[in-house]
Amino acid sequence: MKKKKSVAIGAIALLAAGAGLTGCSSSSSSSGPVDLTVWTGFTGGDAPGYKQIVKDFNASQSKVKVTMTVQPWDTIQQKLPSAWLTGTGPDIAAPAPDPNVIAQYVKTNSVLPLTATGSGDTKINTSKFASALTKEFTYNGKLYAVPANYATLSLYYNKKLFKAAGIASAPTTVAEFQADAKKLTTGGTYGLSLADNNTIQMWPILQWLSGGEVTDSKNCSALQTQASIDSLQPWVTLVKDDKISPVGQSGAEADSLFSAGKAAMEINGPWAAPGYKSAGIDLGIAKIPVGDDGTNVTLGSTAPLAISAKTKHPTEAQQFLAYWTSKSTQLKFSKSTGFPPLRTDLSDNATLKADPTVSVFASQVPDARLYLPQVPSATQVDANGYVPFIQKVTRDGDVSADATSAAATINQLTGCSS
Amino acid sequence: MTTGDTTWGVKATPHARTPARTPRWRSRPAWLFMAPSLAILGVFVLWPIVRSFWYSLHTWTVGATDQPFIGFDNYVQLTRDPQFWGALLHTVEITAVSVLLLLVIGFFLALALASENLVTRIIRSAFFFPYVVSLTAAGLVWRFLLDPNIGLVDGLSKALGWGAPAWLASTTLALPTIIFVSIWKNVGFVMIILVAGLKGVPEDQYEAARLDGASRGQLVRFVTLPALRPTILFVSVILTIQSLQLFDLVYVMTGGGPLFTTDTLVTLLFRDGFVNFQTGYASAISWVLFLLIVIVSALQLKFFRYNDVD
Repeated sequence: MKKKKSVAIGAIALLAAGAGLTGCSSSSSSSGPVDLTVWTGFTGGDAPGYKQIVKDFNASQSKVKVTMTVQPWDTIQQKLPSAWLTGTGPDIAAPAPDPNVIAQYVKTNSVLPLTATGSGDTKINTSKFASALTKEFTYNGKLYAVPANYATLSLYYNKKLFKAAGIASAPTTVAEFQADAKKLTTGGTYGLSLADNNTIQMWPILQWLSGGEVTDSKNCSALQTQASIDSLQPWVTLVKDDKISPVGQSGAEADSLFSAGKAAMEINGPWAAPGYKSAGIDLGIAKIPVGDDGTNVTLGSTAPLAISAKTKHPTEAQQFLAYWTSKSTQLKFSKSTGFPPLRTDLSDNATLKADPTVSVFASQVPDARLYLPQVPSATQVDANGYVPFIQKVTRDGDVSADATSAAATINQLTGCSS
Repeated sequence: MTTGDTTWGVKATPHARTPARTPRWRSRPAWLFMAPSLAILGVFVLWPIVRSFWYSLHTWTVGATDQPFIGFDNYVQLTRDPQFWGALLHTVEITAVSVLLLLVIGFFLALALASENLVTRIIRSAFFFPYVVSLTAAGLVWRFLLDPNIGLVDGLSKALGWGAPAWLASTTLALPTIIFVSIWKNVGFVMIILVAGLKGVPEDQYEAARLDGASRGQLVRFVTLPALRPTILFVSVILTIQSLQLFDLVYVMTGGGPLFTTDTLVTLLFRDGFVNFQTGYASAISWVLFLLIVIVSALQLKFFRYNDVD
């Protein structure tokens, strides 16, 4: 009897412990027009822009019908690896908002190398993409994804709070940026809303502005260098001592703080503008202040759009990617979402230049840098290296000592040996 | 379904002659009836569990062409991983504190609300309500309520001049806050089960004890608690397994942060398995969790003297 009970309890525990590592999948079928399925996780203010691309593509021809499913990024991240591996996933997907994720799918031979490149509307015009983007998705000389979008980060500011503090315009230099952040921090409001986790990174921009780096060209940590420490220290002091920003905010919390009118500035991408406007913020958007050495820099972000290696319709799928990234599609997308165009041949477009939102984000495309581009294990470098580093130094850490320990973690992850 | 005096799957009458091979013969239909469930359990539960153990013996990456066999290296690696030890410690802390407090609070609530009238029914429903809400939704609401700048809790706290602690951004407060929300969520469940248990305690036992001069405290100590032992065992086993597997609440409220101070074994295995694609390593973590659940459940059975329970 005792044995039976133990077996029963064991079985219950087995069931309970079934923290399964399984995925699920979807399939596509073909009859009449070719059906293509697409998974993306775009749910922000830019979401209607992507839906419009699919709608327009379906209306533009009758041979291919695209169905786009929008689901949370987390869900895609769980389902897609096994779905693509077993050939049951979508034909096309944006696997994550992080461009570095493509490396993982390339490693497992899950993504199709794109060959339909060249000029003209029916080809993927790689030569017209911002060069950093093509480079980011190229592994061993083969292109594995196209950018679904390209966003730069700008400085959002609350004009009402600026006026109340007696500041006439957005800061244009790092010194002004820091002085304004301090001046705008009053009892009820923060000068700047900084996030350090579950966010598009803002801290690297602050470091880049003053000559700091996260990694070097050999994928080794550069956090421990004197230049990086010096670039970070003033901001850490401003956060810790002058309380210009709450500590430990996630991206969503930082956005909520700015939306609630409780922070005067925030560094963010174009997707945030509609939300801030509807929250009633007297919104100003400016370029990131110029760096200490007189050059401009900001962070660029792109979500990859890739094709399953097991798709039955590689030609049609590439045709859709060519349409997505074509000049006319991108012009319409930029106008409706405020995102800068991912193509260089639209940078001088008069309509986009006249748009007050698009123009600010677009004007920073030439200065934009990707975060940890093609750094091995970039996701872990961020999660286990950079994020804890910023979280430590903004609480009770020491920039120099914590940079040394973060550098060791990062170098171990990237395999840097020098 | 009846042939002669033998009924399919039904015990034969005592005076029927029982051929030697009947038990095996009789069990065949039972296996047939169980087959669908066994197939589902086997394919979707047992096989993945066995498979995950196999993964844990490899440097397994979903989709990779080469999955090198490394024996128990993943388990050795776990012993050297500070994030794993941190997650294990937090998991044990969350489980120990929340299960203990849930049993104590739930028991006193049950005692207070066991009587049947409109007021107790309304209060019981109010306590039970959070249990039916999804953990993710509850986590999101609490995260919003506890926001130090725009949340209701800190707004009230500031209005009362108590300041505004950064509940979830603080390395010292985040874990206790999650434990609190977990207790808030589950206390109604514990209370309802214990109320049901209380109603099963025979009134004559209380009467006999009162006749012997037992005080109120002695009634609880010597009548109620022993009678509730099977119920408490059930609740504690369920709560322990739930707490050891805590994921949703942590994932939604803190994502394991700040500085990994709220990481649990399941958030860690999720990150390693689904974000970092280290399936082998994540499987090793899930096996440690499985063994932990087996050991803790066995200890609970021993502690509550499961075998003495009728």
